[in-house]
Amino acid sequence: MYNAFQLIAKYGAHILFIVLEIICFNLIINYNSAQKKIYLNSSNVYASKIQNVRSRIDGYLSLKEVNDSLMRQNANLIENLIVIEYATKSIPNADSLDVAYDILPASICRNDIFNRNNYITLCSGRRHGIDQNMGVIESSIGIVGIVKNVTENFAQVMSILNSQTKISCSIKNKNSFGTLVWKDMDQQYMTLQDIPKHHKVSIGDTVITSGYSTVFPRGILVGKIEKYDIEIGSNSYTMKVRLFNDLSKLNYAYVIKNRFSNEQLSLESQEDRE
Amino acid sequence: MSNSINIINVLRILFLVLAQIWIFNSMAFQIGNHIDVHFIIYPLAILALPVRMPQALVILISFVIGLIIDVFDNSLGVHAGSLVLMGYIRNLSFAIVEPFDGYNIQDVPSIRQFGFAWFISYISINLFVQIFTYFSLEIFTFIYILDILLNTITSFIVSIFSIFLIQFIFRTKY
Repeated sequence: MYNAFQLIAKYGAHILFIVLEIICFNLIINYNSAQKKIYLNSSNVYASKIQNVRSRIDGYLSLKEVNDSLMRQNANLIENLIVIEYATKSIPNADSLDVAYDILPASICRNDIFNRNNYITLCSGRRHGIDQNMGVIESSIGIVGIVKNVTENFAQVMSILNSQTKISCSIKNKNSFGTLVWKDMDQQYMTLQDIPKHHKVSIGDTVITSGYSTVFPRGILVGKIEKYDIEIGSNSYTMKVRLFNDLSKLNYAYVIKNRFSNEQLSLESQEDRE
Repeated sequence: MSNSINIINVLRILFLVLAQIWIFNSMAFQIGNHIDVHFIIYPLAILALPVRMPQALVILISFVIGLIIDVFDNSLGVHAGSLVLMGYIRNLSFAIVEPFDGYNIQDVPSIRQFGFAWFISYISINLFVQIFTYFSLEIFTFIYILDILLNTITSFIVSIFSIFLIQFIFRTKY
């Protein structure tokens, strides 16, 4: 209290000055119509400017939520695309519109592209429904890899830029299929081989996933053929495929969950045993 | 002594406020379309208060005088705001124009006490700030800064002439 009195005694004049000026300002803007108008106008201008900045900051801060909701919407859309692909490309049966594939959005924790064997780590794991041997795509255009190991919260994905990669692919509107591998250390290109040489291919054809495995559904766009030749003594083409997606810019990915993969795999392993 | 100073100050304030309201307010005129020339002499009531008067009291008196002028000029807050600012910077102006041997406790700012040169610079600083603030508050937007400055300069010239006229007509001792 004593300090407060001292403060007033020392700075009383300054405090009084400020208080009186504020009173005067209030009087001016309340009892003078011209000044009142100017004050209201300019304060509106400043208030709206501040409001603008605020809403921009708010927008920036909520980007992550917006992104997440967009990811979910995208997942739905990709699911629908796959359903449509199935409905148009295969013999329709009673449950052809049953969604065999579930799309799970995930963000990327870590991404290598410069090694011979590259791996990607996803920020979601078994808790979010991810399991081994599920395919990972960037959207309906561009594949990313295959899940190899899963923990509760993380998943390790073998990138398509890996010497072990073997993905069954075919050429759009043609029924031939081959294997997509990564041979030369170029992040933009992969090699499609094992397509028999009696099939006709041309430069610019689109390479899609074949759907002959449980990992990727049919019809995910992979890339474009840029060059092809037949090695001497070989029966099949070797094609250079330019990828549609750029794995170095990867931020988000979708994991494809095949509901019937276990069923299919167990059936196929039975076949092997017999 | 100090009692008579108080009485003289009160009388001077009354005289200047009434003179401002009745005479000088109605003398305002316009040059062209934009330049308003006002005769503003009431700051003299504050400027002639004793040098060592507490600053808070000076500011309070400024506020009251400003409000009275405002009520009659129908511009509530404009005169008061500018006069309070002037009362606040009065102490600063004393420091700026401080004579070589400083101030005494009983000093009253006047030509007789400090000389003409001191008095004119002291009055000019305060009056200019007051008039500039007055026109700023009246026009209320710095888009018309040129108008504000022109108004300030013309009004400053006529006002300081009027003030010196009053000083020479009523040669107060204090």
